[in-house]
Amino acid sequence: MLKSPHEYVDGVLNRDRLMLARTITLIESTLPAHQELARTIVDLLLPHTGKGFRIGITGVPGAGKSTYIESFGNMLTELGHRVAVLAIDPSSSRSGGSILGDKTRMERLAVNANAFIRPSPSSGTLGGVGRKTRETMLVCEAAGYDVVIIETVGVGQSETTVASMVDFFLVLMIAGAGDELQGIKKGVLEVADAIVINKADGDNILRAEIARKEYQTALHMLMPNSPNWSPPVLTCSSLEHTGIGKIWETILDHRKKLSDSGEMSKKRKHQALDWMAFLLEDGLRQWFYSDPQVKAALPGLRAEVENEKTSPTAAADTLLRFLQVNNR
Amino acid sequence: MSENPKLQKWAELASKQMKGKSVDSLDWMTPEGIKVKALYTAEDLEGLENINTMPGMAPYTRGPMTTMYAGRPWTIRQYAGFSTAKESNAFYHKALAAGQKGLSVAFDLATHRGYDSDHPRVAGDIGKAGVAIDSVEDMKILFDGIPLNEMSVSMTMNGAVIPILAGYIVAAEEQGVSHDQLSGTIQNDILKEYLTRNTYIYPPGPSMRIISDIMAFCSKNMPKYNTISISGYHMMEAGANSVLQTAFTLADGVEYVRAALKSGMDVDTFAPRLSFFFGIGMNFFMDIAMLRAARFLWHRLMSEFKPKNPKSSMLRTHCQTSGWSLTEQDPYNNVIRTTLEAMSAVLGGTQSLHTNSFDEAIGLPTDFSARIARNTQIIIQEESQVCHVIDPLGGSYYIESLTNSIVEEAQKIIDEIAGLGGMAKAIESGMPKMRVEESAARKQARIDQGLDVIVGVNKYKLADEKIDFEVREVPATVRDEQIARIKEIKASRDQATVKKALDDLTNAAKNGGNLLEAALPAVRARATVGEISDAMEAVFGRFVATTRCISGAYSSEFKANDDTITAIKERTNKFLEKQGRRPRLLVTKMGQDGHDRGFKVIASAYADLGFDVDISPMFQTPEEAAKMAIENDVHVVGASSLAAGHKSLIPALIKELKKIGGEDILVVAGGVIPPADYDFLFEAGVKAVFGPGTPIPVSADKTLSLLEEKYR
Ligand SMILES: Nc1nc2c(ncn2[C@@H]2O[C@H](COP(=O)(O)OP(=O)(O)OP(=O)(O)O)[C@@H](O)[C@H]2O)c(=O)[nH]1
Ligand SMILES: [Mg+2]
Repeated sequence: MLKSPHEYVDGVLNRDRLMLARTITLIESTLPAHQELARTIVDLLLPHTGKGFRIGITGVPGAGKSTYIESFGNMLTELGHRVAVLAIDPSSSRSGGSILGDKTRMERLAVNANAFIRPSPSSGTLGGVGRKTRETMLVCEAAGYDVVIIETVGVGQSETTVASMVDFFLVLMIAGAGDELQGIKKGVLEVADAIVINKADGDNILRAEIARKEYQTALHMLMPNSPNWSPPVLTCSSLEHTGIGKIWETILDHRKKLSDSGEMSKKRKHQALDWMAFLLEDGLRQWFYSDPQVKAALPGLRAEVENEKTSPTAAADTLLRFLQVNNR
Repeated sequence: MSENPKLQKWAELASKQMKGKSVDSLDWMTPEGIKVKALYTAEDLEGLENINTMPGMAPYTRGPMTTMYAGRPWTIRQYAGFSTAKESNAFYHKALAAGQKGLSVAFDLATHRGYDSDHPRVAGDIGKAGVAIDSVEDMKILFDGIPLNEMSVSMTMNGAVIPILAGYIVAAEEQGVSHDQLSGTIQNDILKEYLTRNTYIYPPGPSMRIISDIMAFCSKNMPKYNTISISGYHMMEAGANSVLQTAFTLADGVEYVRAALKSGMDVDTFAPRLSFFFGIGMNFFMDIAMLRAARFLWHRLMSEFKPKNPKSSMLRTHCQTSGWSLTEQDPYNNVIRTTLEAMSAVLGGTQSLHTNSFDEAIGLPTDFSARIARNTQIIIQEESQVCHVIDPLGGSYYIESLTNSIVEEAQKIIDEIAGLGGMAKAIESGMPKMRVEESAARKQARIDQGLDVIVGVNKYKLADEKIDFEVREVPATVRDEQIARIKEIKASRDQATVKKALDDLTNAAKNGGNLLEAALPAVRARATVGEISDAMEAVFGRFVATTRCISGAYSSEFKANDDTITAIKERTNKFLEKQGRRPRLLVTKMGQDGHDRGFKVIASAYADLGFDVDISPMFQTPEEAAKMAIENDVHVVGASSLAAGHKSLIPALIKELKKIGGEDILVVAGGVIPPADYDFLFEAGVKAVFGPGTPIPVSADKTLSLLEEKYR
């Protein structure tokens, strides 16, 4: 049922929702044939990418990421933007299946003609979030979505990966829970371009304001990672749609400051290098694990290490030597 | 071990009879987590707070009235409504002539959600799960020939309470009946809507205000009217066990009391008008004990508010037999189930009762099935001689002990809720919903394994199912009739008066003022249900639900390597290997039906079986569901339907999918779908239909087979 690369490319460029969706499926597929086709498509689409806004959003489960995107995304489409949302869902049971419920919290955006939302299971994917999300983002840009938002849960490694592929990385917090409670690692704050305290509504307004001040102080202690931008701390209510416009203004301001100073193009170049490094590591890993000899010997060696018959070092050496021998 | 020599002797004898196994091996752990022993004795009563009490006296364990059924039996109150007001009115007249005592009105889903029948979102719902009401003109037809000063009328309405209650009041006015003569109950229990049924309109804050406004208006003007019916029924139907039902219902009650107190009312002005509504399932003794425990606990909980009127802490309840326990398979068995459940409600001491019709898993009740349902109660009341003795099971070792266990377990959960800041906060945190869903998933897993027996479904199945009775269908013309009447009303009323009344209502919503009172002029001026709802929505907004789904609960009820489950997991893994991704399923609920139990259980079970499951927002149109299927690029869409909308909504979905290029996406359907409609759906392109009671491994197997065939 696969089509030729050009059919996908034309479909995406014609902004055909179905073809965009099917291209993403190819990108996400674990089959080598699909991945190869996807690579070809992405390469052909590459010239049509790179002009839009790339925004990453992270926060602990329940921080209100999806609700925020519902409010933020609808506002952007009203301003004339076309918005794509990539939601990476970590939920998976032992069997590996996932429940993808993001759209239930993006009810209006889900039916908005100028929005495209794609929830993706992250479970069991080789190379994790990195490759797939980046390529998906590019394809969405080629399909004319000038704002791409990536939602990821801030409790794993995925968020730093996401931070390294977007222009603006927003960390959503809620008041009344300490950092540890929120499970947010210091590292995440270090890459944040803004921190937003969500749910600043009802009897929570005051607490949100207190939290805002605390985070502001905390951020001052960190070294800013850009000479042109010091990350602000803002508050908003995604349910009551307050403070949302301010965040967009902040993102525009960020873009302007970084573009004017030339930092933006540097940032993207840097990201390209990071990306290459990532692909190299990922490729090596895949290459290694798909080697027939490695595949054959791995389970046995694992068992031997487990039973203390072989040392971990010796086992790893044995496996790595296969590659040397095979490629001499 | 007991010191009692007789009990020890018994245990020895019993153990001998069981070839040496200890009597403890007969213990049964109920789904509530209560350990039930094989034998109860006087010892089990020692120290229990709930024994040695009197009916009609605090703490009311034995019943709220002093003479209970010995004085007057419970009220036979059958819930009914479908199609147009005229059709429903005719049905009511027949029921009243045949021995029914009170009326109970079911509204269609469009009305519940505050939409007029001409609203495009609700095309598939008009007159389906209840009667369509668009204005006071419909209300007047509904109660035509029924003197509202004499008839007690119960109305199941939560979302659109303001226009509906105002409509009832104005219909009465126009019959010449004054406000203070009105008696009956409005459900008006919004908290449980956020928890299970989803037929709300506004966010929780404004909804709670509406409830306080209704309590305030009625306590002043309608002293005989019950302003709320705090409902556990829908929680049970959503899968809650009896302890969860008790705890969440009473916690809801406490929240309403707090809200009313906060709005400045004195507890004794409204608390005596609070009523309850419990669901009674197939665990016969458990639910008898549940009603007794609920009364005991409510008295305990209310004591905190120091009421002076004893009626303020007296729990009066309506009960309904479980709709969920009814099966599509071998449906006459449902008469027996309903009889048992009705007995349980009666022995538990209910004040009024609805018994379900045996055909409810198949279609809407017909005159025939409604008669059998009604007669089930009449026969218990008038033939079985059970009414002579008050609380006949009072003092039973088992019942009293079970009553105490429910009190203890429910109290723990109520305390937990108090710790979260009350039920409204708890609902916000998602805790109650998760508990109910977990309980539902576990139950489904027990049924699918045959651990919970359902005759005709997972045991003693009929080789050949056939339906030899009439099935009621709501004609598709109902919507057209309603739309025509809306047009007529809008053409004949005075627009300026309507506009002013609606503006005043919006104003009251914004700046304060009693909303029920403010809605009356609008109703009198012939504003529609939709217009009145919109006038408040302009200020309050429309609430959007958060759907959360648990995973793992379903499969954790299965034995570690249950064969059927393992086999299906292997197949989903195989599919992943061959296709590069897991089978991806979108479960969707189109139309205004908010019962999301089936849909949730399926989502979480299928994920446990290795599917990637997308869940759609509630209340989708076919176009919206199709867009989502395309965008998420799913292999199959599962459309869940419980409210008779399947014949229009599911074919519309298939058509829409074709239109936007998704013709290769399979569509399967599940829910309450009459077998007579299967062929219609197959012809429309549905690939499989799963009726109520289909074990999940069976539907998953079929769905996977369809996929495996397609993607070979
Ligand atoms: N009061 C208030 N509640 C909010 C706000 N934003 C989100 N919520 C609520 O918080 C809960 C979680 O919101 P989601 O948008 O699902 O959070 P999320 O971070 O996307 O969660 P995951 O996707 O599960 O990680 C929901 O019940 C929302 O209604 C807000 O601004 N104010
Ligand atoms: Mg989310």
